[in-house]
Amino acid sequence: MIIEDLIKFITSLSPGQMVAYFWPFFLLDMTRYVFLDFIVIIFYVPRRILHRHKYQQARNLLYKERPLVSVIVPGKNEGKHIPKLADSLSKQTYKNFELVIVDDGSDDDTAVICRELEKQGKIDCFIRNEIRGGKASAANTAFRYSKGKYIVHLDADSHLALDSIETILLPFYMDNNIGAVGGDVRVANAEKDIVTRLQAIEYLKSISTGRTVSSEMGILRIIAGAHGAFRRDVLERLHGWDVGPGLDGDITLKIRKLGFRVVHEPMAICYTNVPEKFRILAKQRFRWDRSMIRFRVRKHRDILMPSANFSLTNFLASAENIFFNLVLDAKWWIYVVQMVIINPSLLGYIFLINFILYFLANVVEFIMACVLLHSSLRRKDYALAFFLPLIPIYTGLFLRTVRTYAYIMEFIHGASYYDKWNPWKVSRIAKEEKL
Amino acid sequence: MRQPYYIQSANSEISCAGIQTIAQDELQNINSDDVAYWLIDMRIWTEGWEQLCKIRRNLAPAVYLKPVLFLIDSDTIPQEIVTASDGNIHRSSCDERILEDWVSRVEPINQWIEHLPNAKVGSDANIAFKVLRIITSRNVELEPITTIRRHSGYVYPLLEPMFGKRDTGVLETLAFLESQHLLNGRFISSAHFCSHCGSAFLNFKESCPQCSSDDIRSDELIHHFKCAYTAEMADFRTGDRLVCPKCERELKHIGVDYDKPSIVYHCNQCSHTFQDPKIMTACYNCGRTAEPEHQEARSILAYTVSAIGQNAADYGLDALFTNILDHELHLFSEHAFRDFYRIEMSRIERYKRSTSSLVMIRFHDLDKLYIKLAGKAREVFYELSTIFKTVLRQSDVITAKNETIFFVIMTETSAKHAERAAERLQEGVSALFENNLDFKPAMSVRIREIHPKLDIDAALEDFLENDN
Repeated sequence: MIIEDLIKFITSLSPGQMVAYFWPFFLLDMTRYVFLDFIVIIFYVPRRILHRHKYQQARNLLYKERPLVSVIVPGKNEGKHIPKLADSLSKQTYKNFELVIVDDGSDDDTAVICRELEKQGKIDCFIRNEIRGGKASAANTAFRYSKGKYIVHLDADSHLALDSIETILLPFYMDNNIGAVGGDVRVANAEKDIVTRLQAIEYLKSISTGRTVSSEMGILRIIAGAHGAFRRDVLERLHGWDVGPGLDGDITLKIRKLGFRVVHEPMAICYTNVPEKFRILAKQRFRWDRSMIRFRVRKHRDILMPSANFSLTNFLASAENIFFNLVLDAKWWIYVVQMVIINPSLLGYIFLINFILYFLANVVEFIMACVLLHSSLRRKDYALAFFLPLIPIYTGLFLRTVRTYAYIMEFIHGASYYDKWNPWKVSRIAKEEKL
Repeated sequence: MRQPYYIQSANSEISCAGIQTIAQDELQNINSDDVAYWLIDMRIWTEGWEQLCKIRRNLAPAVYLKPVLFLIDSDTIPQEIVTASDGNIHRSSCDERILEDWVSRVEPINQWIEHLPNAKVGSDANIAFKVLRIITSRNVELEPITTIRRHSGYVYPLLEPMFGKRDTGVLETLAFLESQHLLNGRFISSAHFCSHCGSAFLNFKESCPQCSSDDIRSDELIHHFKCAYTAEMADFRTGDRLVCPKCERELKHIGVDYDKPSIVYHCNQCSHTFQDPKIMTACYNCGRTAEPEHQEARSILAYTVSAIGQNAADYGLDALFTNILDHELHLFSEHAFRDFYRIEMSRIERYKRSTSSLVMIRFHDLDKLYIKLAGKAREVFYELSTIFKTVLRQSDVITAKNETIFFVIMTETSAKHAERAAERLQEGVSALFENNLDFKPAMSVRIREIHPKLDIDAALEDFLENDN
């Protein structure tokens, strides 16, 4: 009965009414995340195949030079993850690397575990900071004691695919102007529960596909802290990372400002553990979303202003992010109000049709991800398709609510300055200096 | 009334006005009841020290236990020498009143010596016993002092002259006496000693865990809060100021705008960076290098005599080995042994069929074994007694002259068979010590066939005199 009425309602709509009723989908989300991604991917995939020889040339150059690569892993209370990480590194196809671990004032047995691994030769340099200084300070400590020509920054709760280091370095040998390369981040604990499965789909869409598309368009705005490679000379010019949270997005913009390209390499794979509870996931996203306001809207707003150093791609990288995440976050609340005013009796149909439209969009995005990543996907990754019907609820309601709350709290209270992610001594200075 | 005796120096004719003078080799010849203390002239302190050593190494309780005072001229004599005496009299203030005052001050020591049952005629050969007696006689807590003149780093001044060059023997003898509950120890300090030569002079040095070089440097890490820049202090140093290389701000107050999260070491040889330097020790004496856990850590204690110790100081140390053998093998008294010998000799003479042997056994350096083993001596002596028990038969008669000399009548055993038994005994003893203790006490054995013409007293006497 409901389905009959729903079909009746849809068929009664002219194309113009259809767009008017569902403008957020047709005019914005479908255009940006389905249509644009589709256009880019259908060009990218064949081009990648056609340019295989360029990747091979880059690989040859890499092995001819065999530069030392420093894998740096800053973290607090991450000792339990380090043995698995060290193990995955020991099996890398590219062998000329050093592993530098910095313990940022852990109060568990991280130091004991790492010292033992250091004795076994699985860690090349272990530095323990007795006093916690925050992620940026730990990353900078690791950078200070690294010796490699390239720096690969990893999160401790990650492990790499066997050819990951080799693959993430290839772009540096294809374009001298590349300053940093983002590696792909996949969910290691996807099969844990529904929360991790939903994030696994989200990562395939937003990181694997989304960042590949942004990279192709020249507007990649973030290199994940979980998996990113940097040229040493570039990091030296920047003197490493600035105070976070959101230091990975911050340093990406700083590299762009120096005039370097930043790209995403979807075949350099890192598997990371994601939150297994909605509550913890909400906290994580609350922190991530606030950093968008703090860094893009406040710290790097100069990118948006006309100046001698103005760069269109840098402008678009920041503007696209601010527009689609911040500005359009408000569209949903405007849309809901609009629908209530126009015809509240249709709200049920509107919700259902939106759900179907976004579900179909997600199916298309998932198929695009499968096409893009097919050689690196496992059978269990394809099985994630069964959870696609839940994605519109997950992204449309859960993540949107968290994001809206994060923006409001950051705009009004500057909540990121009170985040325990940084020690208060650092946050206090950051707040005073309006960093 | 006792009076002081001035010990005549061997190399000079110096004497002390108004005080009886006596030569070193005559100390035993005078009536000890008359002696209040020995007075040693320390004008040439090395000679004075030798005099003291001779006194303390004398075996007669009436000599070595007597109080010794130094007559000193200057304050340049090393501390461990000055404190080795029972007191010091400054030459400038040496008069009759002072000398008499000291007579009364050392009187308790003399009274203690006087009450000993064998003070005048006895001979204390056992060094541990001598140590026990001298501590008991002074009735003080024996405290160590630090010194750079001995490998052991610590000396017990009162005991030093008794031991001479075997300075590590002091600590081991005290440990042995403590293990026997004759002394009570009070913790003073702990120290590491070279496990090779016993020297306390160890250089503890930080070294690179990768290449073991001690050519390393360290620097503090600085974390600048504002820009998160973290590097070594040297990177921040600009003249006498600390300036952040990243944001060019001057660092002002530690804890406010920066802190020092850790210290990092660098090896100048292999360029390794580390925070956990390997600690190594190098012995100044023998040059051996080892990790601290492979050196010997000992507690340095101050000692007082226990109640058991006081009793033992009066009446003698229990002969531990003899006690154990007595319990395990049933030792006969020497008197009973001689009776058995006579019976056995008569039996052999009468039946003219039997052959028995007299076996004389002597362990050398058994006192060293006490010192070396300290608390474990009992266990080893049990092992030793087991070897005796395995080799000897129930029909054999055994007696102990003292802790190191044993006589056995091996009945119905020819000299040849007795020799075999003695060999087995020797092999057993050698195996015990060589395999487990890296120590080999010398053992001598003499076997005589028992016959009517064999004079047991002469045989034993001959063994004791000629086996040295």
